Amino acid sequence: MADQNHQHGRRPHFHRGRRGPDRRGNDRRHAPPQQEQPPARDHVDVEQIMREIRSRISQRHGIDLTTQQIQELAARRLEAILDPRTVKPSLLEQLRRSAGNPIEPRPEDPSLSYTFEATTLYETPHGFLRFMRRLLHPILKLFFNPNPLIQALNTQTRINQALLARDAERERRQTEWNALHYDILQRLVTEISRTSLEAQGLSMRVESLAAKVDFNERRVRGMENTLHQSRPASRPVEPASAPALAAPVTREGAPSEATAGDTGREGSSEGGRRRRRRRRGRRPQLGTPLEGATPAQGIDQAGPLAMGEVDTEPELDDEDDEMPGGEPGGEALLDGPASESDEPPAPTPPEVEPDYTLDPFAATPSVDAVHSPSTTSDPPAGASSEQPQDATGSPQSTETPDSGTSS
Amino acid sequence: MKIAIVVQRYGADINGGAELHARYIAEHLAAHGDVRVLTTCARDYITWRNEWPAGEEIVNGIAVERFPVARERDLIDFRERSAIAFNHRHSVEDELRWLESQGPYSPALVARLREAANEFDFLVLFSIRYDHSYRGARIAPNKAVLVPTAEREASLGMAVFPPVFRGVRAIMYNSFEEQSLIHAVSANEHVPGAVVGIGSEIPDTVHAERARHAFGLHNPFLVYVGRIDTNKGCADLFRDFVEYVDRSGRVLDLVLIGSAVLPIPSHPRIRHLGFLNDADKFDVIGAAELLVMPSPYESLSMVALEAWALEKPVLASGRCDVLVGQCLRSNGGLYYMNAGEFGAILDRLLSDPHMSAALGRCGKEYYQQNYSWPVIEGKYLSMFERLRKEPPTHAMETLPGWWARRRRNAPPAEAVVAGLPAGPAAMPQAARKQAALT
Repeated sequence: MADQNHQHGRRPHFHRGRRGPDRRGNDRRHAPPQQEQPPARDHVDVEQIMREIRSRISQRHGIDLTTQQIQELAARRLEAILDPRTVKPSLLEQLRRSAGNPIEPRPEDPSLSYTFEATTLYETPHGFLRFMRRLLHPILKLFFNPNPLIQALNTQTRINQALLARDAERERRQTEWNALHYDILQRLVTEISRTSLEAQGLSMRVESLAAKVDFNERRVRGMENTLHQSRPASRPVEPASAPALAAPVTREGAPSEATAGDTGREGSSEGGRRRRRRRRGRRPQLGTPLEGATPAQGIDQAGPLAMGEVDTEPELDDEDDEMPGGEPGGEALLDGPASESDEPPAPTPPEVEPDYTLDPFAATPSVDAVHSPSTTSDPPAGASSEQPQDATGSPQSTETPDSGTSS
Repeated sequence: MKIAIVVQRYGADINGGAELHARYIAEHLAAHGDVRVLTTCARDYITWRNEWPAGEEIVNGIAVERFPVARERDLIDFRERSAIAFNHRHSVEDELRWLESQGPYSPALVARLREAANEFDFLVLFSIRYDHSYRGARIAPNKAVLVPTAEREASLGMAVFPPVFRGVRAIMYNSFEEQSLIHAVSANEHVPGAVVGIGSEIPDTVHAERARHAFGLHNPFLVYVGRIDTNKGCADLFRDFVEYVDRSGRVLDLVLIGSAVLPIPSHPRIRHLGFLNDADKFDVIGAAELLVMPSPYESLSMVALEAWALEKPVLASGRCDVLVGQCLRSNGGLYYMNAGEFGAILDRLLSDPHMSAALGRCGKEYYQQNYSWPVIEGKYLSMFERLRKEPPTHAMETLPGWWARRRRNAPPAEAVVAGLPAGPAAMPQAARKQAALT
């Protein structure tokens, strides 16, 4: 009955007029329990997944063409190479025909392949005339000797036949050579096409690697600048004086903050590769100050400076730990220290927090991340929830295309 | 209801695809009727040597009648006849000689089929490419229910088979791709047919941990089950797998189950467990990350169905239409065309356990909807019921006469097969509804 009501768009009776925890409680806003919707959980589309995988492969290789596509491309290039203005227009077609078709012997010209025997001079379809010629043959021999003439013509027929045979053989060989030439030409052009595609892919890869190198260099320079600028400011703090202990962490204190962070992360298995990014308004409470350690542990291990860091950066979010190097935010890391270095090394009030904290051990972001304009700004609070999701509803792997199978 | 199952080999220890299929069908139909198996004395499918004694015996509760094979296969003669029939213009007589040359040639079994035509309600004939099925269908077309187990291979293009496909009483296909192929080669849409396939004896529980300890499978691994042969795509699998693990550095093993015809490369990540019993086999599959099926020629792939029954995703060769179709219909597996896709798919499956698990669950659902034993039995029984109610609507075409049989007018079989439509077949709407209802 309840289902029927649902079908008619009516609320079940037992929900009507409820005003209690049943309607205002947590269940009201949350999705129904997972076990009530098993089909949604198992919804996968193999075709979609295959499309994604193939798309990822093509992104990884830059250009991913099938053999047939390469051959089509090669055919177009072959047309371009054999420019009709410089090459006989029918040559390509002739080559193609000779390559594709079986070799057929040329029909013999009957006028060239005649035979000439001793009796040929006297042959006639008329019997009487033939008889008379044979009868008068001795008389003819009195006037001249026809034998050399007969021999010469007979030899000429043999020469004709030999020439015909040689011509046919030459033509057959020429056809075979044509087929071979066409095949070689076609293969060469196909290979050139393939090679040029590979070269194109490699040049893209070189470009990508060059951009990575460039990025790393800029990043190293930024870190060095930060270190150089922070040392003079931190030296006075080095003595364990009360003002230094009381002072909150400044922007220029990033290296010392990083040191504190490292100290705090010693208990963590992956603390050395962590990059932390400031997230506004995500944490209502203090949260975990240092990855891999409880707040108390982190404070204990990092010491008073770390305490200052914890106090001043309550919004540090470890969520980016899920994204190893090469993730969005890389350029912000690059730009962060440079912009911070312009500011005076004065202690910053707790409410004015640094835009970024820099971890010298953070992995290198990918080139895509560097060039992506969206990564230059601080991501919104809900950015982490905007990871692309696959058909299963689970977040897709955020690894770069090169990860895992990169060559 | 009296049913005769006619198959080339039969035995509890025979694990060939069609033979196991026949045994499972016989054992499950025995609960619904009087089932008797008619087969040969052969055990080896290469030579067809008589190894079992002729006569009657009981195998797993099923009465089995064995008949001797008249001659063993002469491989040279078979190869020559295959070359004629597959690659040249030839005659129907050439094809009939090819059938005899292939074997098992058992005139005694054929004589028994003549008697059986009057004795049984239905003759379930397995594997169209063998002599007994061809002759059995011609002897008793109105009682012949054919299980063709046909694949996209050259013998399907022979001229003697289309009349049989058009003349038998009904056909039980293994897959929609097989059905499409046979429809295309013989235009037999009027013949009652059903896509049935085969179930498997899946244990209620598998002990993955036991298998890991028993066989020392400490790393994550892919499993391949079946004959390790070039024809099954294993050479390509070895090459793709070695390239993948060498390139990616991932800790992943390839575990092979089955007898090896092909030399297995010596690689630290490739493990060959040999032939295992069913319990071990299922335990190993249960412990695997996924099942890999590289074969380009499969009419069903029971192993893939078994993996799905155990909620394991399948990585199949994209060159096999049947496997691709099964993956698409089930949403339970992915398929690859080359080494690049092989690696990329493995990366995706291994790095996304949620997706792998979802594929496995879809596969299990697909198995239960289409290949569980109640479904299979129901399809057979409903087909028998339908055939009992409906009178035969078509007749078997007669063989050409003596002279016509010797006329070389049959095209090369390979050329015929090459012209057949390819690609995965979609599940018809009616079948989809039926599966959903089930």
